[in-house]
Amino acid sequence: MLLGPAAGLLGLWFVYPIIDTVVLGFQQVNLFHFSQRSYVGLTNFHQLLEDPAFHHSLFITMIFVLLVVPAQTVAALVIASVLQSVGIGKTFFRTAFFLPYMTSTVAVTTVFMKLFVEGGPLATVAARLFGVSDSTWYAEPSLALPFLVIVYVYMYIGLYVVVFVGGIENVPPELHEAARVDGAGVIQRFRFVTVPGVRPYVFFVVVAGFIQAVQIFDQAYVIASNGAILGSPAGATATLVIFIYQQAFRLNDLGYGSAAAVVLLVVVFLGTALTRRLLPERS
Amino acid sequence: MIAHHTRLAGKVLKYGFLTAGAVMATGPILFALYTSLELPADYPRLVWFSRLTLWNYRYVFDNAPVLQWYANTAFVTLGVVVGAVVINTLAGYALARIHFPGRTVTFLVVLAILMVPLQAILIPLYLLVAQLGWLNSYQALIVPFIANPFLIFLMRQSFQTLPADLEEAAVVDGAGRFRSFLKIAVPLTMSGIATQAVLAGTWTWNSFMIPVTFTTDPGHYMMTVGLNSLQSQFYTLTTVQMAGVVLLTVPIVVMFVTFQRLIVPSFATAGIRG
Repeated sequence: MLLGPAAGLLGLWFVYPIIDTVVLGFQQVNLFHFSQRSYVGLTNFHQLLEDPAFHHSLFITMIFVLLVVPAQTVAALVIASVLQSVGIGKTFFRTAFFLPYMTSTVAVTTVFMKLFVEGGPLATVAARLFGVSDSTWYAEPSLALPFLVIVYVYMYIGLYVVVFVGGIENVPPELHEAARVDGAGVIQRFRFVTVPGVRPYVFFVVVAGFIQAVQIFDQAYVIASNGAILGSPAGATATLVIFIYQQAFRLNDLGYGSAAAVVLLVVVFLGTALTRRLLPERS
Repeated sequence: MIAHHTRLAGKVLKYGFLTAGAVMATGPILFALYTSLELPADYPRLVWFSRLTLWNYRYVFDNAPVLQWYANTAFVTLGVVVGAVVINTLAGYALARIHFPGRTVTFLVVLAILMVPLQAILIPLYLLVAQLGWLNSYQALIVPFIANPFLIFLMRQSFQTLPADLEEAAVVDGAGRFRSFLKIAVPLTMSGIATQAVLAGTWTWNSFMIPVTFTTDPGHYMMTVGLNSLQSQFYTLTTVQMAGVVLLTVPIVVMFVTFQRLIVPSFATAGIRG
């Protein structure tokens, strides 16, 4: 009885849409005539197999994930271990690192678009430091995806710092002491004490980070808001969710978009199953 | 002596590293704040504080329905938070305390849908909203997001940590099940309930994909969607866009800094739910 309202709402707004995503994947439905649904068997999935745009979106998503996950995992682990080793100011720094995760994706992306515009502060710095051409990153096919990576990692590092701080607190300090007595330096202690001690957390952050990163959407949508088509420039940011959105809400093909959404569902479920398997004691 | 020096050097290095990191983390937000106070003609030059002005804020309030977007966002956020606190707290209590047939199955279903991203079910959600005639309405942004599997899970954990004898004692003393829930269990899980309110509030305030899909009429925009639309409306006015960024961000930053002890651990769990 107490559960009634929640069960009803979850049933209608969570469970039913999951099932309907799969059902729609086998149907042909137009956005503007959505009450007319006709079954078309595996047509949508066959089409996905042969659609270069879909392959491209998987490729872009894969590159994005491959850039994001290692970068944020390593950066968060290093920051967390330094953060954990200082006494005063720990809370202050933790707050500062976590702040970006609390802010809106639209706000952060809008700000970074100004920082990485031609002649903008960070575009100039990047040009000086790394010899990248000083240009508007989100409008440049070769720089738009790195731009998304930077915006994304900027927001998520703080989250994983906090996760790793929790993990490092579980490593007994005696191990560090023993290693220090044996003459291990800072780097060696990080490599041989901290890293093995937080290994389960590393696996967890990698898989959770993967699950989050394949869902990238907001940032890619915002950079294409100036009348550009989704996935601009030249498909450089056409991620999987952008592909789904494009098919359903720009090309009005709800069935085809849903078939691609089924692929996303499967990827996320596999990732979740993997986390539960890697960390049986946590599930 | 030498050991002392290396230790000091190490400390300096660590704090230097953390400070650099903190500057990078807060820099973009401070950049937005500073730029939003510059006259459009001054940007991108740096000017002294005495030249800073609220011109952009006046401009954006005069030329875009920002007040309406703020009101929409506040209303929708409040709706989700109030609904979520009531519904998910009841559900969490039921799953933690009440024995009923199908309890295990229900809990397994909650766990199974915990990870499902909205991105994957957006199309059927849109269809439901459209069939109900809810496009461009507040209820489309509130009702579907009240019951939340993660928040139910969170509340179940909170209630499970309470000793059951407390409520049993109350029941023996003649209080009904619901009375003992309200008078004993709820006050003892206030921190869980507050966490839930903060999580639901932040998610809703910052949400973008849902409102940008369900609302096409600027009168129903939330702040995130409105800010995104400012991009094309005031394409050349970076300073005005930054005023929009600050307006969207400030309430969350204030709330975060105030409640950060409560927020950080719960967001860390929520962010890697699974």
